[in-house]
Amino acid sequence: MKAIIAATIIGVIMMFASILSNNKSGIVSLATVLFFFLFGINIWEVYESINATGVAAPAYLNNMMSLDSFAIWFSMLMSGCALLYILLLGKEIAKVGKHVGEYFALIAFIMVGIYLLAGYSNMLMLFIGIEILSIPQYILAGSDKRNLKSTEASLKYFLMGSFSTGILLMGIAMLYGATGSFDIINFRMLQTDALNPLALSGILFLIIGLGFKVSAAPMHMWTPDVYDGSPTPFTAFMSTIVKAGVFVAFLRLFHASFGNLTNHWMMIVAVITATTLFIGNITAVFQQSVKRMLAYSSIAQAGFMLFAILSVNATAWQGIVIYAVAYSVATIGMFAVLIKLKDYTYDGFNGLAKKEPALAFFTTIFLMSLAGIPLTGGFMAKYFVLLAAVQQGQVMWLVIFALIMAAVSVYYYFKVIIAMYFKTGEAELNHEVTGYDKLMLGITCLLVILIGLMPQLLLNL
Amino acid sequence: MNEISLNHYLFVSCALFFIGVYGFLTRRNLITMLMAIELILNSININFIVFNKFLFPDKLDGLFFTIFIITIAAAEAAVAIAIIINLYRNYKTIDVEETNTMKF
Amino acid sequence: MTMTNLVYLIPLFPLIGFLINGIGWRTIPKSVGGLIGSITVLASFVVSLGIFFEVKSTGASSTIVLFDFIQSGKLNIPFAFQVDSLSVTFLLIITGIGFLIHVYSTSYMHEDEGMVKYFAYLNLFIFSMLLLVLGANYLVMFIGWEGVGLCSYLLIGFWFKNRDYTNAAKKAFIMNRIGDLGFLIGMLLILFHFGTLSYQDFFGQLKSGATANPSMYNWIAICLFIGAMGKSAQIPLYTWLPDAMAGPTPVSALIHAATMVTAGIYMIARSSALYNLAPDALTFVAWIGCITALIAATIAIKQYDIKKVLAYSTVSQLGFMFMALGMGAYTTAVFHVMTHAFFKALLFLGSGSVIHAMGGEQDIRKMGGLGKKMKVTQITFLIGCLAIAGIPGFSGFFSKDEILAATFEHNKAIYALGLFGAMMTAFYMFRLYTLTFTGTFRGTHDQEHHLHESPAAMTFPLIILAILSVFGGYIGLPAVISETHTLRNFLSTSVSNIAHEEMAHNTEWMLLGISTAIAVVFSIIGVAVHRKPNFVANTGLSKVFENKWYVDELYDTIIVRPLNALSDMLDRFVEKMGIDGIVNGIGKLVRFGGDRVRLLQTGQVGFYIFVMVIGITILFALSFFWIR
Repeated sequence: MKAIIAATIIGVIMMFASILSNNKSGIVSLATVLFFFLFGINIWEVYESINATGVAAPAYLNNMMSLDSFAIWFSMLMSGCALLYILLLGKEIAKVGKHVGEYFALIAFIMVGIYLLAGYSNMLMLFIGIEILSIPQYILAGSDKRNLKSTEASLKYFLMGSFSTGILLMGIAMLYGATGSFDIINFRMLQTDALNPLALSGILFLIIGLGFKVSAAPMHMWTPDVYDGSPTPFTAFMSTIVKAGVFVAFLRLFHASFGNLTNHWMMIVAVITATTLFIGNITAVFQQSVKRMLAYSSIAQAGFMLFAILSVNATAWQGIVIYAVAYSVATIGMFAVLIKLKDYTYDGFNGLAKKEPALAFFTTIFLMSLAGIPLTGGFMAKYFVLLAAVQQGQVMWLVIFALIMAAVSVYYYFKVIIAMYFKTGEAELNHEVTGYDKLMLGITCLLVILIGLMPQLLLNL
Repeated sequence: MNEISLNHYLFVSCALFFIGVYGFLTRRNLITMLMAIELILNSININFIVFNKFLFPDKLDGLFFTIFIITIAAAEAAVAIAIIINLYRNYKTIDVEETNTMKF
Repeated sequence: MTMTNLVYLIPLFPLIGFLINGIGWRTIPKSVGGLIGSITVLASFVVSLGIFFEVKSTGASSTIVLFDFIQSGKLNIPFAFQVDSLSVTFLLIITGIGFLIHVYSTSYMHEDEGMVKYFAYLNLFIFSMLLLVLGANYLVMFIGWEGVGLCSYLLIGFWFKNRDYTNAAKKAFIMNRIGDLGFLIGMLLILFHFGTLSYQDFFGQLKSGATANPSMYNWIAICLFIGAMGKSAQIPLYTWLPDAMAGPTPVSALIHAATMVTAGIYMIARSSALYNLAPDALTFVAWIGCITALIAATIAIKQYDIKKVLAYSTVSQLGFMFMALGMGAYTTAVFHVMTHAFFKALLFLGSGSVIHAMGGEQDIRKMGGLGKKMKVTQITFLIGCLAIAGIPGFSGFFSKDEILAATFEHNKAIYALGLFGAMMTAFYMFRLYTLTFTGTFRGTHDQEHHLHESPAAMTFPLIILAILSVFGGYIGLPAVISETHTLRNFLSTSVSNIAHEEMAHNTEWMLLGISTAIAVVFSIIGVAVHRKPNFVANTGLSKVFENKWYVDELYDTIIVRPLNALSDMLDRFVEKMGIDGIVNGIGKLVRFGGDRVRLLQTGQVGFYIFVMVIGITILFALSFFWIR
């Protein structure tokens, strides 16, 4: 709860900083310090929760929030990722437009949404969390106001996002009609064998509403356009940390409330997973722009994360944590490299290895992680979610399909590596890569490998 | 047939919902689309309130949820109008089909 | 404190070498980079040797846990190393031959500006391979497995300025990934049915009695074998290996002899407990091996590129190893891996020495008579040829004979085909030798002037390998000669062969006789036919033999022409159109599909929402009508 309050206050501070000061680099520094502070508070909360073992998870807001150890731990990891994001891309955020402080304020508010989603125990909190997370994103997507693509991205995101909010609310309404409660614990009372059609429709609407937010096919259509059009630093944030936050909400709801109803919804999620994997991977193959390819790849990665949803067991929780962090870290790193380049197409990467060997090397590691090559975080992430599905045991066909799709993904990720190392050309950079950039990218790289070597570190629940 | 029952309300809500979806799919004017979204949200509000009133009258959960939805819908609408104005400045149009610079 | 506890040092040394060379490849001088690369591998070799003697004296197999890797519910996969006779044997091959190749490279790559980077890759390669062999569960093995694939990609594409080389690298990587997919699926099946990935638990469960239904064993075994097919270049995933010649020659030697391709053999030998329960899978393995051995051998006959001949011969020899595996004679396959590592490394390094002297020329039609200028290379190369052809007394003879004996016992058809393969091996190897080292020089004047023996750093490994190629076979003498098969006894603690009856002595003598006769006769034919090469047509091959016309004609009509035709045909249809076609076709299909699906993204929000609504409707229909 401390983190939620702190993040809100940080958001307000940043808003005022935006009014009071025009000094961009000063605002970035302030934001960095404040996010360090936020991360510190998260660690403090984790420390407290470790000391309080055996005590029931504290409930807040009339039992609408239940901040158990998982919620606190996950919030801490996401804050860490957000901190890494600001350290890597803070300077780039300042270049998007005039209102730098407001961007950071919006990011802080999104963090509030993520904390709410990590620990909600009431549908109202789910709804509020999703909205707190979504509305700032609409604004961030359109923050480059002079740019047509950015405006268009924002519009598309808003239109489809509000539609999906409607669907989500419809699901909540139906479940309310079936059970008379908004508490996710009470949904367990639903009859397993003869499920009320109202409740079933509610569950389906929830799958669709949440599936939209994590860009699962066929609700994925907004993803490429929005991620492509948004200013690159915000794409990096939206496609990683935010998505991971929504996934945890998804997981919490479907494991805690509908865990005993799997025979009613698992096949639907399996179908969605298969479609998502297929569309994400196949379409990514044909893209010319690396930024758009990463948008499709984020759909593909969501397909893998959906495995955690449909395998209702403890490994799935571990899998989602590892996946969220490994994917976020690698993708943020990848975007931090991308933003340095003038040309976002594959050709823009030609000959990067010659010009900036360190940058090219880091990119290689990030891409290997995204492709799931062993000894990187991405491999462990894929391994854990697939392991969860294997232990669950009903969807072996889907696991095999996912492996084939993972093999396809190597093609488009490695195209970048080939461009960097094996093609001649002059990769044009926007500006000099400073020592600070290299240091931060190096640390990100180390994190990727560390997760690959010791995924256990992320599971100290 | 002299009393308005739960089903009647649900019919209204359902009709509103699908009118909203229909409007959302067929209209090209952004303001109209925004109105369609409001229709969808209002149909849901009706749902919440009638469920509360007819099925679980002892608590007011549904009613409160409705208040939250109305509040957040207002916030959403504010953002939407801002986006639409910005779009109008750039494109000089609020036709949704004109916004397709990004595709494939 | 025993040696075995130091096992973590073995992969650690090359890793350190990789880090040093990899980080400082632009600043470290070439000689220092080469030194670091070689010494780290030598250090690993020394530790391996220590562990080898310990394992040899105690016969124990032990698992050393380094740290906890994955813990999830009941499943616990530690990052652990397996030290037993099988892994130690492979350790010695990898680090020993790897070291020689490193030494050789210090001289071979001296001209190259990226030499230090090259050594970094080479060390990483060795590291991955060591991880693969040392892992105590399939997951660690898989990590090494992928690492090897990645390094081969880096090394094959090392001279990336050339587009073909880059494509070859990509092909190698993609083919390997297809195989890896099989491996992964096999791994998941094991996990699903046995709930473990560690060798100890898995084999323990297998031995204690059936926990899964027997058809499952076959499926798991076949999935794992598909992985082996990719890595060990078996039909239909073999085409990357000949293309992988694009890399520097020592890399070819490393890939072909000591490391990468033997990974598949190692994996199956390691899983012998599983394969013993999966007879159908074994038959499949044997036939794939047999067909690969034959097809590759016929193609080798027609090649003019010195490295291509050797490449196809590797594919063919790997086929022999899989034949042995398919007979359940796992130790025999390991034996052949070992002797093959010696002579194939020798041959490749020898060819590297030739290419070095020829200034990069690889076409054997432009060579000839090199023996006069390069005595050491010639003699060592000849020893390599004798060994691979299976001339008695040399290492290849013993291992190949053991394979043929095993096939003779279990499957006469495979035996006959294997014999045919052995025959062709002798023929094309001596064709290669004769065209390269004897006769008169056919290249340009400049090249002739430039001919020279390679420096000591290159000839030294050749000599060592030549000695090993001669005497390496004596650790596995056939039963008629010696009662104890040293290697088989050593390996028996970790690998369980399918039991078979002792062969009658006269049968065995007969088999030995047949293979000897075939090897000798076809070696001589190989030399004789190519003494006076004429690359236009096979006329004018006179004055070669006592009754030359008779042999020539017989050979020409019965062997050369049909073989040439077959070789041409296989090269043209099977390789170019069939297999390449399929692989490229899948790629095209994916791209085509991507192109179509892409068009859904019209940029119209209305359409997006329409798709979403349709999707919702379908999901509802599915859930209400199909799932219920």
